[in-house]
Amino acid sequence: MAIMGTFAFEDDFLAAAENLVSSGFDNISLLSPIPLEEAQEVLGLGKSPVRRFSLAGAMIGGASGIAMCVATALVFILPTGGRAIIAIPPYLVITYEMTILFGVLFTLLGFHFVSGLPAWRDKPYTEAASIDRFVVVVEGTAGEQAAQAEAIIRDAGAEEIKHVEDGG
Amino acid sequence: MFDHGQPSYADVNKDVLSTMLETGPRYWILLGTTMSIAVICFFMPWLYQLFVGIGAAGMNRNAVWGTYISNFIFWIGLSHSGTLLSAVLHITNSHWRKSIYRSAEAMTLFSLMTAALFIMVHVGRVWFVHWTFPIPNPMGLWPNFRSPLMFDVMAITTYLTASSIFIYMGSVPDFAAVRDASTGLRRRLYTIFSFGWRGTAREWHTLGWAYTFFAVFVIPLAVSVHSIVSWDFALSIVPGLHHTIFAPYFVCGAIYSGTAGIVTVMYCLRKFLGFEKYIGQVHLDNLGKLLIALSLIWSYINILELFSTWYGGTSFELEALKFRLTGFYAPLYWEMITFCAFVPLLIFFKKIRWSWNKMLVVSILINIGMLTERFIIVATSLPRKFLPDAFGFYLPSWVEISITIGSFAIFATLFLIFIKWVPAVSLYEVKETLKPLRRNT
Repeated sequence: MAIMGTFAFEDDFLAAAENLVSSGFDNISLLSPIPLEEAQEVLGLGKSPVRRFSLAGAMIGGASGIAMCVATALVFILPTGGRAIIAIPPYLVITYEMTILFGVLFTLLGFHFVSGLPAWRDKPYTEAASIDRFVVVVEGTAGEQAAQAEAIIRDAGAEEIKHVEDGG
Repeated sequence: MFDHGQPSYADVNKDVLSTMLETGPRYWILLGTTMSIAVICFFMPWLYQLFVGIGAAGMNRNAVWGTYISNFIFWIGLSHSGTLLSAVLHITNSHWRKSIYRSAEAMTLFSLMTAALFIMVHVGRVWFVHWTFPIPNPMGLWPNFRSPLMFDVMAITTYLTASSIFIYMGSVPDFAAVRDASTGLRRRLYTIFSFGWRGTAREWHTLGWAYTFFAVFVIPLAVSVHSIVSWDFALSIVPGLHHTIFAPYFVCGAIYSGTAGIVTVMYCLRKFLGFEKYIGQVHLDNLGKLLIALSLIWSYINILELFSTWYGGTSFELEALKFRLTGFYAPLYWEMITFCAFVPLLIFFKKIRWSWNKMLVVSILINIGMLTERFIIVATSLPRKFLPDAFGFYLPSWVEISITIGSFAIFATLFLIFIKWVPAVSLYEVKETLKPLRRNT
């Protein structure tokens, strides 16, 4: 069972989130129509691991860029005007582009991996969260714990509290 | 930032989503017109060229490049401000970016697609175009990565991929809003497009980091793309093209024409989608100031190009310069100087800078000038290399002129389709610029 509290104001929503975290609830989702740094801080979200994907992608891209140029030159040898078969300066341009290409692709991969998206399974959600409402969802609670979570959300000023299925 | 009072969060959703979800006859008439022009002026002449051969174009033995290449550079240039400006303003946390960046990025994407089409048209036998990619083919022929043309293939492919991802990822939260506001098939489609986005703190946090990294990658990429396009010319030894200034010249010109393009697109969004509330005076003012700065840099580089050619004093460079300034295409050269160096100086006047109608005229003139610039680069250099007895001449054929006109219709068609599929103004980023919804402000 999950408890879903809907708020009209950011500060009420953040107060509820803080109180829930300090009371030991750890399975909390904070839904908002805009990114809120304070909400991320409440959940202790620091530096994102996405940056490691970006770095790895850029490094792999750079290495494969130069490798592709060298391999292509060796597979199809094309002598032009006595120039080197493996010519590093022009290959640096390709390497540069491949560094960026793979950096971008790995960042995309990192985004999906870290955020857990795509996630098309039903999860507690209200459409107002994409308009102008802030929503606190406490999942995996029952009995006394659920009552405590509900009390915290109500005290913070929620305009609506719902009990919904956990989903997933 | 908002000329007509601050909207509420719900107003933002309603105003922006209504442009997607409600479609009147005016839209269909406009779409039908642009599609018809695209077919008649672009695809039919291209088909004709495919049947009769590349000789249908005005290109010849000396002038192996013509309007297809100059249009390619123009469209690549037009693509520059969207993603680049959006990325730079994102990194510098400029709030005025938020309501215009989505459409500016779309402009990048569609300009790139149009530019890529010109390569298809230019190569003649388009069915062999995959030979430019490093993939196995029956000939066993692999691309020569020492060639600037291959730099181009890699740069543009990367730019198209990165720009598509950049605009898509920035739109994911808004796709969720479209999903929530729609029913039936559209809802199912946007559920897929939005990846099941719920707007959790973790999702926003990850998107924020990823988006910043995309921006960091895109900025040097955009600069490299037009530098590389300039090397198609500058790495040759053709008089009039072999200049070290070409890379910054092209990058500056690209951002310049792209920024002018943004003004034109923003005018249309205000006029036809009713976005006056979101795209206001502050945007016009800032874009105007940017145009002045870019115009001055562009003029400086042009003067520098003339000076260094004159100072170098080699006979073939001087001949190329003389032909450009006083030859057959001189009227076009001076038209370019008028439109790109002098007309933008009018933006110094607040009366011009604050008027959408006047800025529309200025932005269109700048882009006419920039289209001409690219034509002049191609038409006054390649046909007249070194020995006078080998001089040729290039005049575009009706096929090339028609395809040029058709390309604008293709761009317009793509943009019209875009505004029905993607919120043209970013919902969540506009909301970020509004007064926070706090009980205790």
